[in-house]
Amino acid sequence: MAGAWANQIVQGVLLGGLYAMFAMGLSLSAGVMRFINIAHGDLIVLVCFMVLSLAVGLGVPLLLAVAIIVPLAFVAGYVLQRLLLQRVLGQGVLPVILVTFGLSIIIQNALQGTYGADTRKVPAGSIETATIHVVDGINVGVLPLTIFVAAVLLVLLLDRVLYRTGIGARIRAVSDDPSAANLIGLPSPHIYAIAMGIVGITIAISGAFMAVWTNFDPTSGPSRLLIAFEAVVLGGLGSLWGTLAGGILLGVAQTLGGQFDAAWQVLAGHIAFLVIFTLRPQGLFPRY
Amino acid sequence: MSGKLLLLNRRQALTGLAAGAAATAAPGFMTRALSAPKTIKIGVVQPTTGPLAFFTEHIPFVLDQVKKSMGGNITVNGTQHPFEIIIKDSQSNPNRAAEVTQELILKDEVDLIATFATPETVNPVSDQCEVNGVPCISNDAPLEPYFFGRNGDPKVGWDWTYHYFFSGQELVETMIPYWNKLKPGGVIGGLWPNDGDGIAQSDKDHGFPPVFEKSGFKVVDPGRFDMPASNYNAQIGAFKAAGVNIISGVLPPPEFTTFWNGAAQQGFQPEVVYVGKACEFPAAMEPLGDRAIGLTVEVWWSKFHPYSSGLTGQSSLELCDAYEAASGRQWSLPLGFRHSLFEIIFDTLKRTQNLDDKASIRDALKATNYKSVVGTIDFSKGPFPNTALTPLVVGQWIKGSKYPLDMAIVDNTTTPEVPLNGEPTPIKY
Repeated sequence: MAGAWANQIVQGVLLGGLYAMFAMGLSLSAGVMRFINIAHGDLIVLVCFMVLSLAVGLGVPLLLAVAIIVPLAFVAGYVLQRLLLQRVLGQGVLPVILVTFGLSIIIQNALQGTYGADTRKVPAGSIETATIHVVDGINVGVLPLTIFVAAVLLVLLLDRVLYRTGIGARIRAVSDDPSAANLIGLPSPHIYAIAMGIVGITIAISGAFMAVWTNFDPTSGPSRLLIAFEAVVLGGLGSLWGTLAGGILLGVAQTLGGQFDAAWQVLAGHIAFLVIFTLRPQGLFPRY
Repeated sequence: MSGKLLLLNRRQALTGLAAGAAATAAPGFMTRALSAPKTIKIGVVQPTTGPLAFFTEHIPFVLDQVKKSMGGNITVNGTQHPFEIIIKDSQSNPNRAAEVTQELILKDEVDLIATFATPETVNPVSDQCEVNGVPCISNDAPLEPYFFGRNGDPKVGWDWTYHYFFSGQELVETMIPYWNKLKPGGVIGGLWPNDGDGIAQSDKDHGFPPVFEKSGFKVVDPGRFDMPASNYNAQIGAFKAAGVNIISGVLPPPEFTTFWNGAAQQGFQPEVVYVGKACEFPAAMEPLGDRAIGLTVEVWWSKFHPYSSGLTGQSSLELCDAYEAASGRQWSLPLGFRHSLFEIIFDTLKRTQNLDDKASIRDALKATNYKSVVGTIDFSKGPFPNTALTPLVVGQWIKGSKYPLDMAIVDNTTTPEVPLNGEPTPIKY
């Protein structure tokens, strides 16, 4: 029995890697750029469909497809911020929410119109079923492990960029006080746009992993957004490591809940979130 | 000659006008318009898109065959009537299914509605037809979730809706002899989601678990879960811990892929896997490659079934061959039921006394006793009112010759007239 619980915790941690992956971009935009992107989940699903079109439709190898999408996503994020989001930034919380909410509806319907309502998945060959036998009763899937490792590396990388590089310092400066940043000659629209481009990269990577690991359809964005939100809030705004911890916490709560009864799986995640949120509204590792 | 033709056309037109006027003025006085051709509108609700879309791949072929064999007209009481088939997409969503059914009834004013593909489609469509007094014929949803899922009363039944398929009871009776050959006294893991089929099958009193247990199997039921599920860790964990060696479940194809990949990732290797909805479709099985070999299918129709169509005269085998030739795709179970749906529709219409009266169409539907390509359909026999039971055998996927996978019938205890062509074998890892 203890083995079964240990196994669930291991699987939950790995699932947490995927959740942290979903939440990474949101963590950046909410924590560093201080705005809430309602379309975050839909952007991830959009990437899933792009991967589907490239890998299944055109037969491009999966890694190449990702290599094509990542720079595209950076440019798309930059343009999105510069042309659309920048216009409503600094006018309070509501306009940004409304704009991204509209974006979310547009993306969902455009996907539904283009691809139909079918549930899809991108086949990734033998890695999908490859497994590593750890100890008796515990097996670790190679794909979930890859995703987990990628999530940790991504957090490490983003943390480095934000806190150890010049552009990271500029992003933080603009985020802390845009007018002061403008005074010392920082082009804040450009810097915000670069930050959004980085968010775009995380969306591209997490979308690609999601396309391979789980099923998706044009309307599965909002449910991804919910989990991402919970991970960000649990971890504490502005902390990328916190987001990773939040994702893992949710993943473990879900699999442990499912161990009681499969019906508890989703609920257990939400309950864990509510409890921690009540006890520690600022999150586990808040930076601000 | 031409004058006579003109006159006829004029008279027909006049009768049509009169009928139209009568219809708008007073629907009660329409007996005189009986012999006038009337366009019969047949509404079809199906999940063209969404996770259940696999159920609809045969429809274009079946409609094509119907058009060819009927020529666009149907003769009722000596008069030729044109017919029109209107197809609506439920998007695999029960609410949407109810919505488009209303559209068919209120906007398109159809005379009869046909539907298929799981309780999630069939139940809401049937309910709408029952409320609005439109005859409805359906298949491809087990009888219990159809009947009890709609809160049917076995003493009363329904007025407008009729359905034929296998029943859950029959499914259990068919599976148990097969499992007894492979894993007597095995541990069964239930993959029963939170939907019509899952709730009906997992029911502690009327579902599968009590029957399994009575036959000496142990049942592990980790509980209902919502789909789409991001993973099946909880279920796989519970199954591994309990030493499950038989899987019995009902999941749509993409969900089964998630489960089956998860099982491989976690080293879970059950020897018998039966998952309804997913395992019956070769298109859903092929991406699994060799990991599809040995999976169990409840075979509600196959090219080996010894029945033939009353509409086109084709045997089951001929129907499959025609489908493969026309579409370039492998036959699958639903083909027979799609075809039979139109057999029943046209048989009903041909026997209808008064096409302008929906109750008359309903009476004809109720009196159906018809030898179709999926077996005899007779709504008077039950097991529940308004339903007819069709035969069931057990099949397994084996390595194919023309296509990557072939189906072998491995157990026919409940329907011996279907020939066997394979031996039950546990899944090899």
